[in-house]
Amino acid sequence: MPKITRQSHLIEMEKITKSFGDFLAIDQVSFNLTQGEIHALLGENGAGKSSLMNVLAGIYAQDEGQIKLDGNTVDITGPAMAKSLGIGMVHQHYKLVSSFSALDNIALTVPHGTYLSGIRDLRKIIISKMSEIGFDLDIDKQVGKLSVTEQQRVEILKVLLGGAKIIILDEPTAVLTDEESKGFFKTIKLLAESGAAVILVTHKLKEAMNFADRITVMRGGRIIDTITPEDLSEEQLIRLIIGEVIINEPNLSKDIGDRKISLQNLQTTSHDGSIALKNISLNIREGEIYGIAGVGGNGQTELASALMGLSKLETGAILFNGHGDISSMRPDQRRNCGLVYIPADRQKYALAGQLSLTENYAISGLLRHEFGSWLKVNSFKACEKASEAFKEYDIMGVRNLNQKAASLSGGNAQKLVISREFSSNPSFIIAHSPSRGLDIRATAAVRAKLCMARDNGAAVLLISEDLDEILLLSDTIGVINGGSIVAEFEAPTARQDIGKAMVN
Amino acid sequence: MNYSGNILTKKRLNLEVREPLGLLAKTIIFLISVFLGLSISIFILILSGVNASDLWNEFIIYIFTSQKNLSAVLVQAVPLTIVGLSAAVAFRAKFWNIGIEGQMIFGAIAATFIATNDVGPESMRLALMFLAAAAGGIGWIILPAIIKIRLDVNEIISTLLMNYIAFNFLLHLLYGSWRDPLTGFPNSQQYDAFEIIPLIGWQSLNFSIVIAIFLAAVIFWLFVFSRFGYMLRVLHSNANMAQSLGIRVGILIFLATIISGALAGICGFAVSAGIESRMTQSFFVGYGFSGILIAFLARENPIGILIVSLLFSILVIGGQSLQVFYQIPFAMVQLIQAIIVMCVAGSEFFIRYRISILKR
Amino acid sequence: MDFLVFWLSNVPSFAAPFALGVLGMIICERSGVLNLGAEGFVLVGAMSGAGVLISLGDYPLSAIIIAGASASALGLLFGFLVVLLRVNQVIAGLIMVFLAQGLTSLISRNMGWVNKPFSGLGRIDFGFLTDIPFLGPVIFGQDIIVYITILLYILSFYFIYRTNIGLRLRAVGENPDAVDAAGGNVILLRFMAILIGAFFLGVAGGYLTVVVAKIWVDGISGGRGWIIIALVIFARWQLWRSIIGAVLFGCIEALIPRLAAVGVQLPQYFILMLPYVVTILVMIWSNLKGNNKQDTPLALGRPYLREERH
Repeated sequence: MPKITRQSHLIEMEKITKSFGDFLAIDQVSFNLTQGEIHALLGENGAGKSSLMNVLAGIYAQDEGQIKLDGNTVDITGPAMAKSLGIGMVHQHYKLVSSFSALDNIALTVPHGTYLSGIRDLRKIIISKMSEIGFDLDIDKQVGKLSVTEQQRVEILKVLLGGAKIIILDEPTAVLTDEESKGFFKTIKLLAESGAAVILVTHKLKEAMNFADRITVMRGGRIIDTITPEDLSEEQLIRLIIGEVIINEPNLSKDIGDRKISLQNLQTTSHDGSIALKNISLNIREGEIYGIAGVGGNGQTELASALMGLSKLETGAILFNGHGDISSMRPDQRRNCGLVYIPADRQKYALAGQLSLTENYAISGLLRHEFGSWLKVNSFKACEKASEAFKEYDIMGVRNLNQKAASLSGGNAQKLVISREFSSNPSFIIAHSPSRGLDIRATAAVRAKLCMARDNGAAVLLISEDLDEILLLSDTIGVINGGSIVAEFEAPTARQDIGKAMVN
Repeated sequence: MNYSGNILTKKRLNLEVREPLGLLAKTIIFLISVFLGLSISIFILILSGVNASDLWNEFIIYIFTSQKNLSAVLVQAVPLTIVGLSAAVAFRAKFWNIGIEGQMIFGAIAATFIATNDVGPESMRLALMFLAAAAGGIGWIILPAIIKIRLDVNEIISTLLMNYIAFNFLLHLLYGSWRDPLTGFPNSQQYDAFEIIPLIGWQSLNFSIVIAIFLAAVIFWLFVFSRFGYMLRVLHSNANMAQSLGIRVGILIFLATIISGALAGICGFAVSAGIESRMTQSFFVGYGFSGILIAFLARENPIGILIVSLLFSILVIGGQSLQVFYQIPFAMVQLIQAIIVMCVAGSEFFIRYRISILKR
Repeated sequence: MDFLVFWLSNVPSFAAPFALGVLGMIICERSGVLNLGAEGFVLVGAMSGAGVLISLGDYPLSAIIIAGASASALGLLFGFLVVLLRVNQVIAGLIMVFLAQGLTSLISRNMGWVNKPFSGLGRIDFGFLTDIPFLGPVIFGQDIIVYITILLYILSFYFIYRTNIGLRLRAVGENPDAVDAAGGNVILLRFMAILIGAFFLGVAGGYLTVVVAKIWVDGISGGRGWIIIALVIFARWQLWRSIIGAVLFGCIEALIPRLAAVGVQLPQYFILMLPYVVTILVMIWSNLKGNNKQDTPLALGRPYLREERH
C-alpha cells in the first residue's frame, strides 16, 4: 500500500449542495482526496454518491459550495472543463457510441490532430497503454459487440488517455463477475501506484474494505464519516452505511402445494443485443416463491418478457394448471388466466407518470371490465376501489386521487404497481427486482406483500439480482447464467454455492 | 459552454426540468405566447402595407357587426372543427395523420359518386353521402395505418405521400369523366338540392354546424368517458406500459386511425355538400395542416378544438377580406397560424424547464 | 436510341435537387435532429434563387448560394426551436413547412416575383466532349451544379467519415451523452448540422427555380421536400445509398416528359402519381427487409438536456 506522505489534498469539495426540484440529493457535503490513494465512496442506493461525483465531473452544477484543486478554487463548468483539469469519470452507464469502434470512441474523447493522421498515432498510443496496464481488447470492434468488461476497458482507456490524474469509477464492478473484478482491482492498484488518485463509488462493502486506502460513507445525501479500513469491523461499517443493523430472518413458505406452473424447454433467439434463453425448464408450486438468482444481463429480462407474452418464444411450453399451454397466448389472454407482472423498470413499463393515481390503478380492472361498460367508465367505482387499495397498501403522499403518478416517490410508486397487479387475486406472479431502488421500509413492505400472495396460494417467480432478497424469500432457487438455468437449490442453502453458480 | 482557465465566480446558465406548474401559470404562459404570436403577425401585416386601424376593422368590426360575416365565420369553423377532431383522435394514438387532405379528397369523391350516380332514394341521399364520405376517408388511411402497425413504416411520410396520390387522382377525375358537362369547368356537376346540406334559416349557416358540434360531443365522450378513451390515454402516456398490461395496442391504434380517417372524409363531405355544392379541385387546400395545428393548440381537447376553430375561422374570413381589399395573398393566414403555433410550442419550454443563473 | 440519350441526359438535372436535399437531410439527421420541414426549406431556397435573378440581375451562381443562405436563415429559427427550446421536432418541422409556404407566397407577391420567367443557368458546353455520341450529352452536357453536387458528395463523405468534427457529428446523433461527457458541445454541433442541412436543402430549392423551371410560382417544390425525407429512410442515412435513390427518382421524373414528347399516350395524372407511389412502396420494402431500425441514428428526434435525471 502506498504511503500517503503529502498532507495537502489534491481535491477538496467544500459544503456542496445539489437538489433536483424538491429532492435534496446532496446536502452540505465536504469531501477530500489525496494523491496516490484509492478512496472508496460507500453508501446505499440513493445515498448521493453518484450525484456528488457528477458534480465533480462537471455533469451537474452544484447549487452551493466550492471545489478546490491543489488549493485553488476552480469552477467546473462542464465535462470539458473537468477533463482539462485532469478529472475523468467512468460512469455507471457507459457513455459510449455503440455503433462506433472502440478506437473511434476513444478518438471522440481524445482527438489527436486531424482525424486521418491522428487515428494512426492514437492507435499506437492505445496499444502501448494497454500493454502497460495489461488490457486485452480488439479496438477495431464495434463497441456494441464488445462484452461489458471490454466496454468498461474502453471507458477506462478514454479516461487514462485524456490525461486524468483523478479517476472516478462509478459502481465499476456492478456488471463484473468475481473473477473479472479481481483483475479490475489489479489495474486500479497499478494506476494508483503510478500517481493517480482513484475514487471508487460502490455499495459493496467488501470491495471497499479490501481495496481502498480510505473509505468515506454517505447516507441520505450526507457524509457520515471518513475512515481507514483498519479502523472498523465490517459490522461497524454496516451500521454506518444503513444507520441501524437490520437482521432479516428468511421468510419461507409453510404450505407448498402441487405443481402449478411448468416451464418446459423455453428457447428464444437473440436479436438486438438480448441474451437468448437456452432450454429453460423449471416448476413452480402453489404457495411457493421460486427465486431466480443471477448477475444482471444473463437473460432475466428476456425470461420475464417471454413469460408475459411480450416477446416470442422459439420453442417450449408454459404449462399453467387449469389453462394448459399458454405459450401461444397474447399478453391479455395470459393475464386473464391469472398471470401478473411487476417489471424491473417500473417507470418505463408499469406507470404512466402523466396520468392520475386512479387511472394508473384502475386500468387493469378496467381491462377486466370491472368498471362500467365500454361506453361509460364507472369512474366513481374506480375511485372508490383505488382509494381502498391505497389505504390497504399504505401508499403515502396521496393528496388526492387525481394527482399525477409522477408525483409519487419510488417506494410508493412501486406499492401502487403492486396494488394494481394484485387487485385481480393473481395465481401466478412474476416479480422482477421488485425492491430495486427502494428504501429499507418500502423494501420490507414490498416483500411482505409478495409473501402474503404466496401464503394465499399463488405461485411466485421472483427474479432478482439481489442475492439477499433471493435468500430471504425463495423456497426454491434457480441460478440463471448465460440464458440458462445452471443450478437449482432447495432453501435453505449456502450463499457461496449460489454465488459460485452465478459467476461460473 | 466551454470556458477555459480557472475563472472565479463566473455566471453560468443552468437548465433543469421543473416541477409541474399550476394551471394558472400555464394559462398565463399560454396567453402571453398567443399574444406574442399575434403581435408578430400584426407587425408583418403592417410591413406588408396594411393600416393598423384597418386590421381592427377587418378582423373585429367587420366580423362582429355584420350577421352575414358572423355566419360566414361559423360556416368556416365547421370543417376546421372536424379536421381538428380528426387530427386529435390520431394524435391520441400517437399517430401523426398528415394525410387529412387526401382523406378529405376521397371522402368527397365517395360522396360525389353517390350524388352523381343517384344512388339510393332521394330522402336518404344525404345520409348515404355522409356514410360514403366516412368510408372514403377510412379507405385512404387504412394502408398507412396497417403498414405503420405491422411494419412500422413512418406514418408521417406515408400519409403525406397519399395526399399527393389522392390529389392527382382527383385531377384525373375532374379533368376527365367527372368534368361538369354543363359548364366544362374542371369540377363535378352541381349536386341536386336534396344533396346539399340544408340551411338552418339564419344567413348562410347550414346544418353542418350541427354535425360538427355533434361530432365534437361524440369525441369528447369517447375521450373522457369511454373505455376506449381511457385506453388511449394510457397508450399516449406510456406505450410500453399499455403493452405490458395486455392492451392490444395495434388494434387501439387501428381504431383511432379509422376514426380519424372517417372524420377527415366527413369533412370532405361537409365542404363539398355544405359550402361549395359540388366537388372542386381545391376544396381541401390547407385543411390538413390547419387541423393538426388546431388539435395541437387545443391539446386534443374537443371543446378546445371548437374554440380554436372559431378563432382560426375569424382569421380565415378576415384574411379573405384582406385578400380582396389589399391583395394580401391568402397565404398570410397560413403564416399567422404558423407563427401563433410556433410561439405556443416554444412557450412550452418555459412550462417544462427552469433556467437559473448560478453564481459562485 | 435517341429516346434513351434524351432521357438519360435529362436524368442528372432531375436527380440533382434530390441528391442535394438528401445530402442536407442526412447531415442534419445524423446529428439526431429530425427535420420534417424539408419542404419548407426547399421552398425558401427556390423563392430566394428566383428573387435574386429577378431583382438583382443575372447571377445564377450567386442566386443558388443565396438560396442556400436564406434556407439556413430559416434553419436558424428551426434550430432555436428544436435545439434550444426543445420543441417537439415533428411539430417544429410542420411549422417550418407552414411558415415557409406563407412566407414565400407573401414575399414573392409583395416583391412581384411570381410568374416572371428568367434565363437562369444553362448547361456547360465542353465542346467536342459534349459531341461524343451517347456519353457526351449524358456526362458532359450538364449544368455546373450537377458537377458541384458530385464534388459536394465527395467533400461531405470526407467531412462525415474522415474528420474529428464529422466523428462528433455522427456521435451526437447516436449518443449525445457520450459527446457531452467527451467535452463536445451538443447544442453547437446540432445547430451546425441544421444550418448545413438547411443550406443544402435551400440549394436544392434554388436549383429547381434557377436551373429547372426558370420561373417562380407558389409551391413550386410540389412535395419534393417530402420525397427527400422518404429518400433519407430509403438511403438509411448512408451517403452512397442516397445517390442511388436520387438517381432512381431522377430517372422516373425525367421519363415523364420524355414519354409525352415521343407521343406515348399515357394517363398523365397516373404518371404524376408515380414518384409518390414508388416512395411508399420503397418504404414498405425497406421495412419488410427489417434492417431499417439499426441504421436509424439512435438519438433521432430526441432533444438533449444534460441535467435530466432518471
